[in-house]
Amino acid sequence: MKRLINITVNQKKYELAVDPNMTLADMIRVELKLTGTKKGCGLGECGACTVILDGKTVSSCLVLAVEADNRDVITIEGIETEKGLHPVQQAFVEKGAIQCGFCTPGMVLSAKTLLDENPHPDEQDIRKAISGNLCRCTGYQKIVEAVQSVSARK
Amino acid sequence: MLIPRFNYHKPSTLKEACELKAEFKNKAMFLAGGTDVIVNLKRGVISPDNLISLNSIAEMTSNSVNDKKGQTIIGASGKVAGLINEKFLLPYSALKTAMENIGSPIIRNMATIGGNIVTARPAADASPSLIAYKAKAVLNSVSGKREVSMDNFFVGVGKTVLNDDEILSAIILYNLPSYTGSAYIKFGTRKALEISLVNVAAVITLEKPDGPITDARIVMGAVGPVPLRAKTAEKILIGEKPGAGVFAKAAESAASKDSSPIDDFRGSAGYRRDMVKVLTERALKMALSDIR
Repeated sequence: MKRLINITVNQKKYELAVDPNMTLADMIRVELKLTGTKKGCGLGECGACTVILDGKTVSSCLVLAVEADNRDVITIEGIETEKGLHPVQQAFVEKGAIQCGFCTPGMVLSAKTLLDENPHPDEQDIRKAISGNLCRCTGYQKIVEAVQSVSARK
Repeated sequence: MLIPRFNYHKPSTLKEACELKAEFKNKAMFLAGGTDVIVNLKRGVISPDNLISLNSIAEMTSNSVNDKKGQTIIGASGKVAGLINEKFLLPYSALKTAMENIGSPIIRNMATIGGNIVTARPAADASPSLIAYKAKAVLNSVSGKREVSMDNFFVGVGKTVLNDDEILSAIILYNLPSYTGSAYIKFGTRKALEISLVNVAAVITLEKPDGPITDARIVMGAVGPVPLRAKTAEKILIGEKPGAGVFAKAAESAASKDSSPIDDFRGSAGYRRDMVKVLTERALKMALSDIR
């Protein structure tokens, strides 16, 4: 039986009827058509499906949509401002921190959450913060540089 | 990956959760952080008819420090990431380190301390420290509640003393005696999202700042079906002045007499045994420098 949930995604309120066995990742991608959130391993190991739930990064493939009732979600689509890309997104573009791009949404959200809590992280802080987001292209160096460049500007 | 269908329950009190579990018994499973349950649902390892969410129960997500009783009660549904930053965790260096080593930052935002324990994985991070600190598990059911020493909580791989109608609601940590120090070392091949190849928690208490050792607890993970106490090693330490010599002797005994590792794809039994020796010695040294 479907359940009715109230959920805020990217500052927009939704009332949705979801099956209890639907994940938050599927709800975001299938119901809301926000396909910036990627599905990789589906088991909480790769971090591609990372979203921000009540201010904390989570793997949306391991969260049931019904468990997100009355909660606040931010996906990669929600961090752009009226001025354009979020500074972390802009830095990823400028520093060449994106190759295939599959890990990028999760990577950007983990980096953004880190910078919100700690505006001037050192390299170890950055590497630790993105340790749950796997990237198979970049070797992480450019990603770390991108996050450092945002921190330097603050 | 699809998740099989189930009936979803979201109790808002512990009492309600106990009633649901009493009604459905082994036809129901609890959902806390989901980092284990959802994975197992997707893999088809489990397919319960009912899933009972423990994430809206205030009694299970809050902690309370009671200095008069000398204890801290940690709600089982407390997120690992939240607990790491709790001030009350500071004297418990081993447990703090263990929690900092669970999964990744993302996993720690979801995973709960209770979940890390009830899954009863031999390599779980939080369990060795909790046993070393003589912590207790609080189990609730419709017929009341009981407290079980963490030392007796695990029965086998994936098995605990929890009955079909019981919930792990909280963990009790006791204030540590003066001149106590502790440490935890997780050893694996990666730093994040890794299962321990071997892990060791050590807690030592001294009579006065320069010894002798009055109490010692060494608990080893991933070298047996449940976290194992290194009892012969503990015996060697008690009554002795702390130092490299006695630590080496205890570590040798922990490896040869107290651990019973197996060969698997992560490492051979012999290698694990060698690592027990190295890690126990290091953990004891770290515990000594942690004395407060």
